[in-house]
Amino acid sequence: MPLSAEHPCPECGTANRPHAAACRQCGAPLVENWQDRPRLRKKVLLRTDFMAASRANQRATRRLVFIMLLILAVLGYLLGWSMQVLSGQFPAESDSVWFLSDWGLLAALGLFVIGALWAWLSFRRGDRIILRMAGANRVTATEEPQLHNVVEEMAIAAGISKPQVYVIETDALNAFATGMTPARASIGVTRGLLDTLNREELQGVIGHEMGHIVNWDIRYATAVGVLVGLIALVSDGALRSLRFSGGRSRSSGGRGGGGAALVVLFLLLFAALAPVFAKLVQMAVSRQREFLADATSVRLTRHPEGLISALEKLAVSAKPFEGANSATQHMFIVNPFRNFSEKAARLFATHPPLERRMERLRNLGDD
Amino acid sequence: MEVFGWIIVALIIGIPLFGIVLYNRLVGLRNQVKNAWRQIDVQLKRRHDLIPNLVEVVKDYMSYEQETLEKVIQARNRAVSANSPEEAIAAEGILGGALGKLFALMENYPDLKANENVSRLMEELSATENRIAFSRQFYNDSAMALNNGVEVFPSNIIAGLFGFRMATYFEVAEAETATPQVDLR
Repeated sequence: MPLSAEHPCPECGTANRPHAAACRQCGAPLVENWQDRPRLRKKVLLRTDFMAASRANQRATRRLVFIMLLILAVLGYLLGWSMQVLSGQFPAESDSVWFLSDWGLLAALGLFVIGALWAWLSFRRGDRIILRMAGANRVTATEEPQLHNVVEEMAIAAGISKPQVYVIETDALNAFATGMTPARASIGVTRGLLDTLNREELQGVIGHEMGHIVNWDIRYATAVGVLVGLIALVSDGALRSLRFSGGRSRSSGGRGGGGAALVVLFLLLFAALAPVFAKLVQMAVSRQREFLADATSVRLTRHPEGLISALEKLAVSAKPFEGANSATQHMFIVNPFRNFSEKAARLFATHPPLERRMERLRNLGDD
Repeated sequence: MEVFGWIIVALIIGIPLFGIVLYNRLVGLRNQVKNAWRQIDVQLKRRHDLIPNLVEVVKDYMSYEQETLEKVIQARNRAVSANSPEEAIAAEGILGGALGKLFALMENYPDLKANENVSRLMEELSATENRIAFSRQFYNDSAMALNNGVEVFPSNIIAGLFGFRMATYFEVAEAETATPQVDLR
């Protein structure tokens, strides 16, 4: 897979051809003088067209879930195949390890179905758990009138029913959204955020979270997160079981001979690489969704300056937030514990660098 | 020859199916426009309910501004009694302008801004003004989606057949676009 190629996009990590002027995935400029090239400039500004971005995003994510399920299926096939080879249960007509393994097919189908089922189940529950993990408390309209008002305004602008409102009692500056459908969503902000931002900035941040809700980001993020977890689990199990059964196969010998070692090597390699690859893809999508949520926020507020100035304040305050973990970090408006700067490990980051986000918002404000 | 037969069968089944999909999409868009219109109504009602409270609270402080206050009340009453959408849009425009003027005048009264009741009412009113703006924005977005559906080929054929009409945009009156900036912080 070309993700680790020599010319990764600085924003989304996608590999590009050596002389490409713009990233083929996200349209980010890859050359220094893009401002001077009219057609390229137009292309770069056009990528902030959120309607097109939303459609592309939905497609990309559906494809991604499918890729994850395929990885699981391949993993299952290799697992079943090597188990069949190692246990010596060869089909009668075959005398080498190169046969269509019925165990493998069964395992592939099984893991594909389990993965799809698991992802679907996680749609139905999960938001409650996230709220509890983050330590969020529900607040009423009399306790936090302004926050409630802003959330309702943004819900009206997005044309959805008002999400439930939560506050996390911490000085850190952050906000998150959760909920599997726009009709049943929740938005949470930290106390520090409420105290630091003015009304317009708060509106920008809430608009961003509303963007995650109306773009169905949370649902996809949850499904993908669950699948990444499942791939890691199965890979880990495969590596462990190989260590266990590897010794036994050598003594049993069998028809496979050197072929069996090769099959096991395949499995070993795939099981070691699959979780890393899945994680990379997950993070790339997460970064794309952050840009999209920023764009949606501007569509709702028609006022990019509020969100820009909010992000500026968030960038300055780097107080870590303890209520997040690696499972929930992608739900927050800024990464709760990672470095915001450009130097932060790009490929494994859930969020694009804040400077990049502000730059894109400024492009929107210009037009 | 047989291939042609199948193509004709596919067209006979496919075209009506496509038509049904287009029709359903148009119905969905039209309902969204209707619902968005009702949302504006809800927010306008809220504005009408808040105004008497605000006037009641500020009138002691702003005794020199009787004229402005009366204009606000008059505009409100006219907006409440409006019958047609066109009339309502015009009346709401006048009311928005009157309110904007009142907000601007309130800047001159520091005691007023310090009053807790007033600041709570002001947050409510500015939230309501925002809601009205956002519900209009959503209405106009919905109207644009419907109008695109009515005009764009091939759904314009279905729209013509079943009498889908273009929605009117909610245009903001001249007086209201000139709303003075009010710092509520």
